[in-house]
Amino acid sequence: MVLLGKVALGIAGTALAGVGLICSEGMIEVNVVEKQPEAHHVYVLAPAMLVPIGMHFVPSRKLGQAASELKPWMPTIRAALEQLRDGEDITLVDVREPDQHVVVTKDGGSVVVDVTDKDETVHVSTPIRAIESTLEQVAAASPDTHE
Amino acid sequence: MQKAMRAIGVCCVLALTMSNLAVTAMAAPTTERYLHVKVDDATKGESVNVNLPLSMAAAILPTVNKGTLHNGHVTIGEADFNGVDVRAILDAIRTAPDNEFVTVKEKDQDVRVAKSNGNLIIHVLDKSKDGEKVDVTIPMKVVDALFSTVKDNELDVAAAIRALSDAGDAVLVTVQDATEHVRIWIDSHSASE
Repeated sequence: MVLLGKVALGIAGTALAGVGLICSEGMIEVNVVEKQPEAHHVYVLAPAMLVPIGMHFVPSRKLGQAASELKPWMPTIRAALEQLRDGEDITLVDVREPDQHVVVTKDGGSVVVDVTDKDETVHVSTPIRAIESTLEQVAAASPDTHE
Repeated sequence: MQKAMRAIGVCCVLALTMSNLAVTAMAAPTTERYLHVKVDDATKGESVNVNLPLSMAAAILPTVNKGTLHNGHVTIGEADFNGVDVRAILDAIRTAPDNEFVTVKEKDQDVRVAKSNGNLIIHVLDKSKDGEKVDVTIPMKVVDALFSTVKDNELDVAAAIRALSDAGDAVLVTVQDATEHVRIWIDSHSASE
């Protein structure tokens, strides 16, 4: 009985550590609400670390062109994301049109995009670390990197 | 004796207070400066606000190596200066007292270039249909930084950004025409107004 308890404790501890590790880069949040009579509501909350992990399984040839175009800009992207991560929370861009409102903000460790128009509202929040990891993965798939 | 002890005590308290103040002042974080761009189009009911920390601009610029921009320097062709020695002109403006240097009045356009309170001021008024009005105010320190490169055909944009960070709050550019209003300014507020 004691042994069974220890095994259960071990499994629970491992699961908890795994969840902690997976969530260590924060969570990606997507919330889409349609304003139609038959309103659809999509809400996704996923560990941000899954995106760079998922990038490992995308064949390099599929990312070839994007990777080649992205690679020269990586020093700029790294500098921008580092500054963004270390800086204060800020509204970076705010665009208002008669039927649309787009706001891009840095909130905590995440970049948040909110779009409100006459048909729907979209909210996307992505941790900066996840953006950086994902872009590094894409850039690493560049053919120049493997040469 | 008691008075002397009191005086020494007061001096000690004062010295401690002053040293604390000095340490606090030294430890105070430098205030972040922000570049703001605001475009309003009243007829279309559109507005665009962009807020950018100057430290971010200063960090990004040296990493961009594309076209004429390399390591925070912009290369300008000889043709763009039209044989004019811009550095000599700036030297002359820097040493000159506040004054109006250029005033051009034409049928459809007024142009004015002046120096006032350490700023280079350019004012253009287009008298045509749109009635566009452009006001540019650039601190002389920023102009100096822009032309601080060794090469004659380069502008040091990164140095200009650093100089802007040290400058006070200022409206750099305003453009107003019949429908649009553009404003570019720097201050210590992360949000636009």
